[in-house]
Amino acid sequence: MKRYAKFVIPAVAIVGVLVVLMVNLSSALVYYNTPAEVQAREPGQSRLRLAGQVVAGSVIEADTTVVFSVQDCDIAVSVVHTGTPPQLFSEGIGVVVEGSWNGEEFVSDTMLVMHDEQYRADAEDYDKDLHTCSES
Amino acid sequence: MTSTQHRTTVWPWIVMAVAGLHTFVASMTVSPDVVQGQLSRIMYVHVPAAWLAYLAFGVTMFASAMYLWKKDFRWDRRALASAEIGVLFTALAIGLGMIWAKPTWGVWWTWDARLTLTSIMFFVYLGYLALRRTTDNLDVRAARSAIFGVLAVVQVPLVHFSVIWWRTLHQPPTLLNPEGPAMDTAMVITLLIAVASFTVIYVAMMFKRIELARLEDEVLVADQTSSGPVAGQAVTAPGLTKGS
Repeated sequence: MKRYAKFVIPAVAIVGVLVVLMVNLSSALVYYNTPAEVQAREPGQSRLRLAGQVVAGSVIEADTTVVFSVQDCDIAVSVVHTGTPPQLFSEGIGVVVEGSWNGEEFVSDTMLVMHDEQYRADAEDYDKDLHTCSES
Repeated sequence: MTSTQHRTTVWPWIVMAVAGLHTFVASMTVSPDVVQGQLSRIMYVHVPAAWLAYLAFGVTMFASAMYLWKKDFRWDRRALASAEIGVLFTALAIGLGMIWAKPTWGVWWTWDARLTLTSIMFFVYLGYLALRRTTDNLDVRAARSAIFGVLAVVQVPLVHFSVIWWRTLHQPPTLLNPEGPAMDTAMVITLLIAVASFTVIYVAMMFKRIELARLEDEVLVADQTSSGPVAGQAVTAPGLTKGS
């Protein structure tokens, strides 16, 4: 093995790994879309994530589906979710739903509950409006 | 030759046990969070573990830079010890985070920026530890790992600020929040107690690991300088002079 090959081969391998990482990472950097961004999209089958707060009074539970609205910065999108929501799911809490946008509703099959950074022993100290509008 | 018998220190074990117990009592007596309930107690170990991992990798960077400057193997051993403890604390933070995430988010794991970058940091420092095992030559090993140890630290700010710079499922920092801590004072105090205890545990672990690294290096040097060629003689029975 030529002396330079000892350096070139690992260098190419490292660069390759970094490229793969960066390509995959860029999709991880923006974990979810806001309701405004979802509304601006063309309807389609492509999978995406939507996040916002569950609008109070919007939750309708049926046998296998839950219908509700998620809102961020005063823009709401209705969600039809199939499956059992996580145990912390409730009105006012932040959620991330995964599925597709059909132009009118967000059809979801996966739901995660977002927990915010607040740690409060007393419900009175808990600021429910801390994340009603996300920037960026 | 009984005089070569090494006496190892005991106090780090006692310190670790006391500090660990201290953290446990503190985190079990504070009031739980109103939304998460008892689950919030995980935070008192998860957060210190993550912070101490940052500190440990920072110390590895510093010690690596000092080695490159001074060429003193003591700095090499400090870099190794800190990296190994950092990997342990990273694993602890990830593991506890997963236990918290399942009942909170609904999943054990997801590829958001914080979790992805933390797992990369974990594997990069495992790579650091693996790199140290690629050669028996102490000078080569120390030089290679020192360069790695300096470069790898760029991940620490990336991991920490990922929740501020990008949209993540993981919540932004509570205590180091740019808009001030979003936590009750009693909880802040408990968390600070836990961080202090973890720092003490880190120092005690460093002490033990550096001690062990010095013994390892002594054995390595003794093997390399002892009688005759080493290659091909690996199957020879070891000498029984010790302890006789």
